[in-house]
Amino acid sequence: MGRGAASSSSSSFESSSYPSVSGESSFPQRKRDLSTDLRLGLSISTSQQDNPSTPSEQLMDWPPSKPVPRKALDSEENEYCSSTLFVKVYMEGIQIGRKLNLLAHDGYHDLIQTLDQMFNTNILWPEMDVENSAHCHVLTYEDKEGDWLIVGDVPWEMFLPSVRRLKITRADSL
Amino acid sequence: MILAQTRTYTTGSGPGPGPSSSSVLEYLAPCPDQVLENVLENVLWFLTSRKDRNAASLVCRSWYRVEALTRSDLFIGNCYAVSPKRATSRFTRIRSVTLKGRPRFADFNLMPPNWGAHLAPWVSAMALTYPWLEKVHLKRMSVTDDDLALLAESFSGFKELVLVCCDGFGTSGLAIVASRCRQLKVLDLIESEVSDDDVDWISYFPDTGTCLESLIFDCVECPIDFDALERLVANSPSLKKLRLNRHVSMGQLHRLMVQAPRLTHLGTGSFSPSEDVAQGEQGPDYVSAFAACKSIVCLSGFREIIPDYLPAINPVCANLTSLNFSYANVSAEHLKPIISNCHKLQIFWVLDSICDEGLQAVAATCKELRELRVFPFEAREDIEGPVSEVGLQAVSEGCRKLESILYFCQRMTNAAVVAMSKNCPDLVVFRLCIMGRHRPDHVTGEPMDEGFGAIVMNCKKLTRLAVSGLLTDRAFAYIGKYGKIVRTLSVAFAGDSDMGLKYVLEGCPRLQKLEIRDSPFGDAALLSGLHHYYNMRFLWMSACNLSNQGCQQIAQALPRLVVEVIKHEDNLDMDENVDTLYMYRSLEGPRDDVPRFVSIL
Repeated sequence: MGRGAASSSSSSFESSSYPSVSGESSFPQRKRDLSTDLRLGLSISTSQQDNPSTPSEQLMDWPPSKPVPRKALDSEENEYCSSTLFVKVYMEGIQIGRKLNLLAHDGYHDLIQTLDQMFNTNILWPEMDVENSAHCHVLTYEDKEGDWLIVGDVPWEMFLPSVRRLKITRADSL
Repeated sequence: MILAQTRTYTTGSGPGPGPSSSSVLEYLAPCPDQVLENVLENVLWFLTSRKDRNAASLVCRSWYRVEALTRSDLFIGNCYAVSPKRATSRFTRIRSVTLKGRPRFADFNLMPPNWGAHLAPWVSAMALTYPWLEKVHLKRMSVTDDDLALLAESFSGFKELVLVCCDGFGTSGLAIVASRCRQLKVLDLIESEVSDDDVDWISYFPDTGTCLESLIFDCVECPIDFDALERLVANSPSLKKLRLNRHVSMGQLHRLMVQAPRLTHLGTGSFSPSEDVAQGEQGPDYVSAFAACKSIVCLSGFREIIPDYLPAINPVCANLTSLNFSYANVSAEHLKPIISNCHKLQIFWVLDSICDEGLQAVAATCKELRELRVFPFEAREDIEGPVSEVGLQAVSEGCRKLESILYFCQRMTNAAVVAMSKNCPDLVVFRLCIMGRHRPDHVTGEPMDEGFGAIVMNCKKLTRLAVSGLLTDRAFAYIGKYGKIVRTLSVAFAGDSDMGLKYVLEGCPRLQKLEIRDSPFGDAALLSGLHHYYNMRFLWMSACNLSNQGCQQIAQALPRLVVEVIKHEDNLDMDENVDTLYMYRSLEGPRDDVPRFVSIL
């Protein structure tokens, strides 16, 4: 199906902290729609009843066309933007980064869960019990101006348009 | 078998010394078999077609041996069908290797990542047995930086690296290839995912000059150092093909074009000026730059395009044979003045933003068109859609030499598809994707059976078909009846019952690759293909009605088939439903790099 578009699968990662499938950005869990059910092959009958005109039933893996790359969310296009927003995530000490689809997550909590699984760590978060902060990590992001900020300071909806990439650093190194 | 001959000489009764008679091995004439082998070896060097070679190798042992010695291009359509050891033992003089890994549906999120298709065991084996390896062409393989390093170190004469839809490596791997492979002519990265290791890989090419003929890196999402690129282009006098990524602005493109006017294939970066060119200021003369490149026959890129700049390419339009606008969000109005000059165009990839009107313009001018791909700008199901049967009909009437079409649309009619089947008899590839699942002919309300039926009936050269829209078993009956040379078939959200799949498995003797998703085919249908599966490269079925039991039956009946059941997410218990079945013939049995979510029956 090629035209030069970047494939949406994340790069393979040579590391012992091999994450489970559910955390993978290229195989996103869209809790909002039926794509999970369809992938489990459970809804052949429902697919007949699908009303194709309802946007909430948009499948993540159909139609079989890789998305046209666009300049993040700051392009003033139609209100239905690209259904993916991939950013790179680096963990301190590991040379090769991963890619993550931010739009596949409902909010910060969801994002932290995915990252915890992907990098096999615990990312500090205000609501968490900080038992052993020495082994925890902190999540930071680079914004449009190139500044590195702590993730979580602004509402999720404001975070999305400004984030360029993510970095996970050790809590004790800040 | 006589290995040697002896000749008996009797000397005459003349003067002089010497035995009166002796048997000596004075002249060791080659035995007839050896002569045959020599002749064969000389002749078989000229045999390039894979099919012919495979046939020749089956004649007898000696032909098998000689063919193996004279084969220089190794093609492996499924990296798990044969082990690296087996392949490298049989073919010892290989110069070029093509390897394909993951199945195509993996590109569309239908398979969890890290399923397999690792290059590592292959490159290790080849490093030992093919010191003179020159070309490696990979598709859908997982390649690591270590693999690239081993490749760069092991093959001193390495010339060509082509990575299509690959992942697992980064700019550090590219840097190693750039610096070590001194004979490198081709480095083509196509639709691959390259991670950003913050390594300026372009600067690792030697400063003293390169043999580069082709450098394609439009899929590399990381920024590059433009000065290094400019130096590289200046140092590469043989460079003919250059495809830039979107981090190269128009101004930078201009500078490169001035350095390399002999380019034949150009992929522009972003087709918009960088921010430091003020509005209204006289920018570089793009028209002259394009006019100076008299050899350009293929243009692509145009990411982040500002359509006002499009007329700059006018000087090259008359010579273009290939134009890729599939990243360019342009309207019919923008397209028309450009396309009206492209009389020689044979390959055209475009976004549906040009609408039916744009396609009509294509049909009016591009009489030599062989391949058309129309991609969706917005891949959704519920919108009106800018292209339809009108565009398809127009193309079929204007572009009679069409051989390959990929067409995404929201609505279609049987009439237009039937028209194409009659107007374009040379069609080899017909892929129609009606994005609304189960959508019927929007004028008659009928299923799309008749349209696809006409395609298989009338297009006698058709080998690849992808179907969509509302389809009953009847469509499959047509395919089974008329699609006698179909090799690749793609099915999604189609069919009524097991009969659909049965028609195809029983009717299409040349079927090699079958990929099916979300269709109501069950175990009985699967079993009806037992006679054929050893002749296929693979079968993929996801979200169908298969059970573990049915798949087990196949696995037991066909021991040389690897039957993989792929589970999704956390549903790793073995329940009766099979999410995804991927099965393929193999000489090696179950692979040893199976991830957790795959079980091999």
